[in-house]
Amino acid sequence: MRATIHFLAAGLLITSIGSGCRGFQYGHLVSPEKKDLVGSHSAGSEVYRPLVEESVAKLLGSCETVPAAATLAPDGTPVPRRVCFVGVENCSAEELGDFREHLYELIDARISQSPSFAPLSRRVVEAALHETRLRPDSLVIPDNMQLFTGVLRQDGQPVDYLLFAKLTSGTTERNASSQRDYLLTLEMVDTHTLQSFKEQAEIRKGYHRSPLGRFSSYNIFPGTK
Amino acid sequence: MALTSILAAFALAAVLLAGCSTHQKRLASPRASFYANQLPAAEKQLSKLIEKPKSDANVIELDLAMVELLRGDIASAERRLQQVRDTWDHLEQKSLAESAASYITDDHQRAYSGEDYERLMIRIMLTLCSLMQDGVDAESYSLQTLAKQQQLLEKARERWDEELAANYCIPPLAPYLRGVLREATHRDYDAALRSYQQTASLLPESTFLQNDIERAQHGVHSQPGYGIVYVIAMVGRGPYKQETNHRPSQAALQAADLIVSSLGKYSVPPTLAPVKIPELVSPAKPFDLVGVEVNGNAISTTLPITDLHYLATQSYAIKRPEVVARAVARRVVKKGAIYAAKDKLNVSTDLASVAMDAAGVLWEATEAADTRCWGLLPREIQILRLELPAGVHQIRQEPVTAGRPIGPAVACDVTVRDGQNSYILSYWPGIKPIGQVLVSGRSEATP
Repeated sequence: MRATIHFLAAGLLITSIGSGCRGFQYGHLVSPEKKDLVGSHSAGSEVYRPLVEESVAKLLGSCETVPAAATLAPDGTPVPRRVCFVGVENCSAEELGDFREHLYELIDARISQSPSFAPLSRRVVEAALHETRLRPDSLVIPDNMQLFTGVLRQDGQPVDYLLFAKLTSGTTERNASSQRDYLLTLEMVDTHTLQSFKEQAEIRKGYHRSPLGRFSSYNIFPGTK
Repeated sequence: MALTSILAAFALAAVLLAGCSTHQKRLASPRASFYANQLPAAEKQLSKLIEKPKSDANVIELDLAMVELLRGDIASAERRLQQVRDTWDHLEQKSLAESAASYITDDHQRAYSGEDYERLMIRIMLTLCSLMQDGVDAESYSLQTLAKQQQLLEKARERWDEELAANYCIPPLAPYLRGVLREATHRDYDAALRSYQQTASLLPESTFLQNDIERAQHGVHSQPGYGIVYVIAMVGRGPYKQETNHRPSQAALQAADLIVSSLGKYSVPPTLAPVKIPELVSPAKPFDLVGVEVNGNAISTTLPITDLHYLATQSYAIKRPEVVARAVARRVVKKGAIYAAKDKLNVSTDLASVAMDAAGVLWEATEAADTRCWGLLPREIQILRLELPAGVHQIRQEPVTAGRPIGPAVACDVTVRDGQNSYILSYWPGIKPIGQVLVSGRSEATP
């Protein structure tokens, strides 16, 4: 009996401390194999990271074929094509916040890992935008593209492709739940031929006001509609 | 006799526990020095107060940060602001011990973690501090401001009003500064547009924002060979709290009833004498706008972008019923404790009863409204965007009312860099600015 009382008292004490005292903040390192946190109100790592992985992989995959006009090195291997990554345009319903710069760096880093492409330094791209005062969205206009690539060439940075990233979203509402489809589109424009091609990756995410919203809105059994 | 001694000791303890003078009175002298443009005196007085803080150390730190900022020690001001920001983030968590103590004495027993508008303003001031130096952290501070607003919105919805609008308590300057920073990249015009549109939605009558929106949609940051100067003026004395007597409404009595019923076998009477609560007040603006001349040519005036008085009173209005309910509950708890003591001690003589009542009155009288606040904020923040050729320009600013200057002008030189932003920051609680007119990258005193 006495032990039970002590146990209950300790429990009460712990509960009161837990609910009524100010705690400290702690941090921990997340190991690579751990899953990302899933944002409750907006997209985060769990959406953007796989979007970048998939879209860049598709883009690089589709560019494996070396164009006939490719420059060859003395040993006969094609010289990596020079890519100017202009930036990430956010047309989604959510503010990107600190993910804007993060997305840029993720995409840029993935492309630089490919032996087929050599991305231009971001600082060089920014300096050229600064010098020409051209808007990124106006670079697809031939005259603007010529001016922009001309400035880069003058700086010793010839460009074969301009790369644009665009994030869009589509939202479906149903009572206290909603589904948002995030689409990352990478568009590569050949500065010599003005031809463009694009690759996309999409992730759909549900938001619910109740923890059971997920189950009421979506079938929990895989493989069934 | 023993009983009266106990009560006297009890009342004395309550007097000692409660704030003897309100924060407002303690800070009156340094604030008067500040507004009289005697920054060294204000700093000395505030430093002295901070040695013996009475649960108001953080707001004194904030006042000190304003003094440091305006005397040109921006790095020190930034450090102080960072420190208070972090402390307030910690203090936002509830403390049951402080809550309980506040029902025996007053709200000064609760650690002050700032009103919502102050929590956002601290981040805006950090953004401005960064912009006036190298701007390295301005981006992070501007993001923190908007992230904090989201956090405060969710808390406010949970605590006070589920239907609270999404733009709760946002100082319009916060999204505007974010737009300014994104636009300066010459790349993220879409983000700049979003931010300007958000600012415009907060200030639907401010037509000047349409220029920013138009530029972010179709234009560019600046034409080649030109740069941008943002003239930011903090105008008027900002909101501060003063103690008032408030007669609780029926809604407040009901809210208080919920609190006291959770504290013990108390109940709230149908009527109650007025309770002491803080109310926000701001003196009137000393003038309308700041007129700006560039190299001797009158160009334009700054325009209001954030009305801090409005922001503070709007956000406090949402929280006020809770403050009143706590004051009512405190009154009931104190009265209830005296009655319970009488009952328990079986007070039978008139003298003892009167002594206990007197102790109760004394106990209640020691209570003071919590007037802690960041009292050196401006009433309004105004802004003007100037596109100027690269090079050095002289900028003159003067207070203007109804289109006419009403005070002396102050001048400063600013170096405009091709395609970049420069910032000028000044504080005008009266018709003359306080301390230095700050210019980004360096500071210059030319009153």
